[in-house]
Amino acid sequence: MTIILDAMGGDNAPRSVVAGAVSAVRELPDVDVVLVGRESDIAACLTDCGAENEPRIRIRHAPDVITMEDDPATACRVKKDASMTVALTMLKNGEGDAVVSAGSTGALLTGATLIVKRIRGIRRAAMGPVLPNGGKGVLLMDSGANVECTPEYLLQFAFMGSFYAEHMLGIERPRVALLNVGAEDTKGGELQKAAFALLREASDAGRICFIGNAEGSDLFTGKMDVLVADGFAGNVMLKTVEGAAKFMFSLLKGVFYASTKNKLAALVIKNDLAGMKAMLDPSEIGGTPMLGITKPVVKAHGSSDDRAIYGAIRQAVACVHADVAGAIERNIEYMKLNGKGE
Amino acid sequence: MYDKIVGMMCEQFDLTPDAISEDTAFIDDLGIDSLDVVELVMELEDAFGMDQIPEEELKKLRTVGDLVEYVSAHADV
Repeated sequence: MTIILDAMGGDNAPRSVVAGAVSAVRELPDVDVVLVGRESDIAACLTDCGAENEPRIRIRHAPDVITMEDDPATACRVKKDASMTVALTMLKNGEGDAVVSAGSTGALLTGATLIVKRIRGIRRAAMGPVLPNGGKGVLLMDSGANVECTPEYLLQFAFMGSFYAEHMLGIERPRVALLNVGAEDTKGGELQKAAFALLREASDAGRICFIGNAEGSDLFTGKMDVLVADGFAGNVMLKTVEGAAKFMFSLLKGVFYASTKNKLAALVIKNDLAGMKAMLDPSEIGGTPMLGITKPVVKAHGSSDDRAIYGAIRQAVACVHADVAGAIERNIEYMKLNGKGE
Repeated sequence: MYDKIVGMMCEQFDLTPDAISEDTAFIDDLGIDSLDVVELVMELEDAFGMDQIPEEELKKLRTVGDLVEYVSAHADV
């Protein structure tokens, strides 16, 4: 299996991307990596990692870079020699099995849509990170790819999220909830009310397992496996959760450093704390898959270090093995509700 | 040319031909967004062997008629 890496994407590129790639080929059997970007920069990083002669890593030169300042809507059309554009084109042409990038989210989504293409019948690709909930995790669909949504988009997110939860997380008949401002059926704006009706219809038809509305505070309760939201609300929620987790750890740190007695207590539960931190660490969770694209495209966090890149590569490998894109493609007809799910 | 473009639009956006005329505006009448339009344009570039439509020209393509006119003038057929 070959994973194509956008070596120039992300705050710490290309160093962290190259280091993550080196970890991947050393730790994951049968995984080859192509690093796409400025050849001399990548080669220097490989030398720093002691991997200049690693036979399972290849370099594809791409002189340009898509930056956060580029217009996401046109970046891949305008910058044809950019590392992200070349990586996606290689995927389209069958020169690899998946793409991982820590570059601009908007550009990656647009590029994946325009170059690799959406699965026919899918109206919008969505980003579905798996958030920890003490169990197998909960998929947040969408987490920011589509700021403006229609009820039909949300219905498709529910289906795609269900397929992902089933194939990647091993959850049989995943429970789907709709992010709303209250649990009652009549809550929300026009979008939520219309989406609720479609989700209920799909559930009544036995196609998904819709359990109703959920509030933000329900996310970690384990009541649901897929939380459907428009990209605006989903992104606000995701970033709030990330910020809250950081805040909690800073508070805990303050408590443990407050006295000698507390430091001793911290020492006793050090391993448990590390385990909890790892559970919330994005680098351990891996990247975020873009669902609805014909081949696996995984977005790594912009601030990814080498472990986070490694995690995203691992996730891309799992996506290829589970054939999530294929599962969605095979179920396009199943996702249609009297034409409304199109 | 018109029929071919309408056919491609129907396939891409799940529309019927009677929903489309030369005056149909992509965003206002069909409810599709700029990403859909760019996707369609890229399909047309491939299908008609056209060079990439410059971004400034792309922004001017508001209706189906605008698109048909542009493709007719630039298609390699």
